[in-house]
Amino acid sequence: MTMLKVQNLKGGYGGRLIVDGVDLEVEAGEIVTVIGQNGAGKSTILKSIFNLAPVREGEVLLDGKDIFKVSPYRMLVTGLAYIPQHHSIFPKLTITENLRMGGYLLDDAKLLQERIVKVCEMFPILRERRDEFAASLSGGEQRMLEIARTLIMDPKVVMLDEPSIGLAPKMVDLVFATARRLAEDGKGILMVEQNVKKALLASDRGYVLELGQVRIQDQAQALIADERVSRLYMGVRG
Amino acid sequence: MATAILEQFINGAMMGSIYVLMALGMVLIYGVMHVLNFAHGVLFMVGGYLTHLFFFSWTGSYPLAILCSMVALAAIGVVLERLVFRALRDNLRMQIVSSLGLILIIQNGVVQIWGPHALQMRPASVETLVKFGQLSFTLQHFVIMGVVAAAVVVLYLFLTHTRLGTAMRATSQAPEAAVVVGIDPNRVYTLTFMIACALAGLGGALLGPLFLIFPQMGDAPMLKALSAIVIGGMGSVPGAIVGGLGIGIVESLSTLVIPTDYRDTITFGVLILMLLIRPWGIFGVRVRGED
Repeated sequence: MTMLKVQNLKGGYGGRLIVDGVDLEVEAGEIVTVIGQNGAGKSTILKSIFNLAPVREGEVLLDGKDIFKVSPYRMLVTGLAYIPQHHSIFPKLTITENLRMGGYLLDDAKLLQERIVKVCEMFPILRERRDEFAASLSGGEQRMLEIARTLIMDPKVVMLDEPSIGLAPKMVDLVFATARRLAEDGKGILMVEQNVKKALLASDRGYVLELGQVRIQDQAQALIADERVSRLYMGVRG
Repeated sequence: MATAILEQFINGAMMGSIYVLMALGMVLIYGVMHVLNFAHGVLFMVGGYLTHLFFFSWTGSYPLAILCSMVALAAIGVVLERLVFRALRDNLRMQIVSSLGLILIIQNGVVQIWGPHALQMRPASVETLVKFGQLSFTLQHFVIMGVVAAAVVVLYLFLTHTRLGTAMRATSQAPEAAVVVGIDPNRVYTLTFMIACALAGLGGALLGPLFLIFPQMGDAPMLKALSAIVIGGMGSVPGAIVGGLGIGIVESLSTLVIPTDYRDTITFGVLILMLLIRPWGIFGVRVRGED
């Protein structure tokens, strides 16, 4: 079942379009990764989908519903979550408060409490340290908190902008394993990654982006085997 | 001597409470939006005038007049944020310049409406005296301290225990992150201005009856509050409370040893000393490269 469907998406910040007519799809239960060089427009795709890019056009459907014009402040209600590239935790709120802010749009206090308990079961480290400031967590744990925080709204699709950036290799594996757990839970995962090999190994499908357009799309396995991809993005000499 | 010290201590705590109200408003705005609102003093003054207006020509009840003036100031806060500060978002220098411009506009506007002369209002709490042995204070002294203490507690509970209050702290720490959890920073900024302006209005409404209501009545409290937040640590709420009370008490006690005319010298002397030895303030943390 297609959870996220993006058609002819264009986006930028005024002037030249950074994303220039991208089509992509994410199914429920699948991890899709967008790879590409710096400046290819990977992050801008996610921002354009989430209605954070100042200039944009195209079509964005979430679970069949048109969400193109939904304001970014209401996106989570529609079921689309976005985790930006730079750390987006609230450093001087406690872990519990961070999770509560994940449910800022949730009016049902009881449901919020249930969801917090649920994600804490999924991420025991967060429960152990729930009363500490989020800033006291390590980089990887902060990523976990960001993911946990988006789960409070029980999204259908989670978009991650370079989840592995700045993390130790072990933590990178943990983050990708977490993404897989979410996918097994029926969510669609859309990642943007520079850590091409690891990301593709963790993914089901991939898109290769060049100058704001999709050049290649295929199964992740096939992309890893693809000579052009390995030459350009994995540092293998062809 | 002991009675004199006690008397000045109470006076200082009363003035300090007023500074705390002002400082809290300025710290909220600074903490959330990183703007120093120099117009806070004239909003304090407008609070005094509006309380006078509501008291004499509408409600006849002092507490009700205070509430009305706080609501009016909150509304003014919304207008200022939407029309002035939002238009200049991301332009810190222009926001500061326009807050200075607002002082001129509002102060002269008030002179235009009410004239340059001081107004007086004397609700029962100013006429009632409370006696401790040889000392006597107006009931208003204690009303001020009590109301400010209550306001601080309510503000604290709001910031720590409500969804909106937590969202305010969250936005001040990471505005980009606030967006992805669904917090609209613009609404938070408006709310911050509402609360800060209502607190300034409360200050003017409390102090106005004790002294006089005049166009410059907010100038000194604004400068003292500014000193208080620098001494307490920019952006720190506990710092604003400790700094405000501290300045009130120190300047008041200083009149026991030096002429009253030098009172402000003491305050700003403390400020300069603080800037020399601990420029990040009592509760502040050192931040590098912030502009």
